[in-house]
Amino acid sequence: MRCGFWRNVPWSGVWHEDRGVKIRLTVNGEPREADVWAGESLLTTLRDTLELPGSKNACEQGECGSCSVLLDGALVCACLVLAAQADGHEVTTVEGLADREELHRVQRAFVEAGAVQCGFCTPGLVVATAALLEANPDPSDDEMREALSGNLCRCTGYAKIFDAVRLAARS
Amino acid sequence: MQLVRPSSVEEAVAALRGGAVALGGGTDLVPLLRDRIVEAETLVELHAAVPRGVRRCTPTSTSPSPSSARFWIGAGTPLAVLEAEPEIPTTLREACRLAASPQLRAMGTIGGNLLQATRCWYWRLKFPCWLHGGETCDAKEGQHREHAIFGNERCASAHPSDPAAALLALGARIRTDRRDLPLAELYRLPTDDDRSMTTLEPGELILELELPAAESSIYVKAMDRQRWAFALVGVAAARVGGETRIALAGVAPVPWLVSSPEELEQATPLPGTAYKLEIARALVQRALAQL
Repeated sequence: MRCGFWRNVPWSGVWHEDRGVKIRLTVNGEPREADVWAGESLLTTLRDTLELPGSKNACEQGECGSCSVLLDGALVCACLVLAAQADGHEVTTVEGLADREELHRVQRAFVEAGAVQCGFCTPGLVVATAALLEANPDPSDDEMREALSGNLCRCTGYAKIFDAVRLAARS
Repeated sequence: MQLVRPSSVEEAVAALRGGAVALGGGTDLVPLLRDRIVEAETLVELHAAVPRGVRRCTPTSTSPSPSSARFWIGAGTPLAVLEAEPEIPTTLREACRLAASPQLRAMGTIGGNLLQATRCWYWRLKFPCWLHGGETCDAKEGQHREHAIFGNERCASAHPSDPAAALLALGARIRTDRRDLPLAELYRLPTDDDRSMTTLEPGELILELELPAAESSIYVKAMDRQRWAFALVGVAAARVGGETRIALAGVAPVPWLVSSPEELEQATPLPGTAYKLEIARALVQRALAQL
């Protein structure tokens, strides 16, 4: 899939010839395996090898949260975790939240509240909100702000997003 | 690049011989590897090798106040665990809570946090700056709003670790695979001959920390946004055994102890960091008032 120019750019997000590390992990409940470069991020493996492009690649610095996934239930930035660190562990991406055609209540709430503009930050926010409500079903506004502080939206501001979190908590 | 996953301290130490790079939570190292600021032929994943967890411990002979309660913390413990640990001193708990976003606190370990690299944008963009072995500090001549007000004669970078300041104020000690030392001795200002920021030898591995219970302690932090950003100025204050200590984050190339509020007046701010001195004065005053 990746070729030419991109092969020469020294990011972990780019295809490397040396894929000497075999990893086996559970992604969204299914056992998966992949051959990865030792320095490859979990985000790259999810998107480019396991064909789960829901987690977005934006800052690659852990600042924006667009790549948020759950690693053994803990919210992490997939761009800062090496794929090899996830070997033997359980990963949940935004694709794993819905029950087939039935959206997760957090996804429904984001749609209903209109908490989406360009949508690039949305998968990360949805995963972060699902993690918050799993741990704390009735969060205060302050707890919401804290839980979503690692997820940046550059379109809407956060009012609609917090509306969606409140809506999801009630549903 | 290859990756090894030792399952014991001995295996990890053996694997780190010969220039391999240790991988803790990865939150700092992964971008540095990607940007080729850190080059590694071998990564040593520490997850199964370095201890994690918190417990009360019996004082050791090296403890400064052997009679009081102390805590043992495994260097592999994530910040998210420490921030939720009700028994440890408030300054460390708060420093961990304020250090980063929830995503980073879930992965980042306390051992790795102590060793994180500067956020200096010149260094991170691989300018041939003094810290990278060059002749001059680009930040001093250029953009340095987030940089140092102490210890900045050669390099104006600011150390980003909040927990390091808290642990310095507490008088914490660390144990590596080869020695036991006060945390204050982990750090050094880089010199022309040796530009490293720590006294760790090649391949030396931080395994555990030990710290006293404090009578009272606090961590306060000024940031560009209300929820997580790197410290413009972080102030840790702790009263331990009747003695009050103050340490600062974000103000010098290494975490910075000051013996008294008056010592702040010895700062050497750059034109763009003079405001940090004003913040430091205010936060030290606030921290001491609340201690």
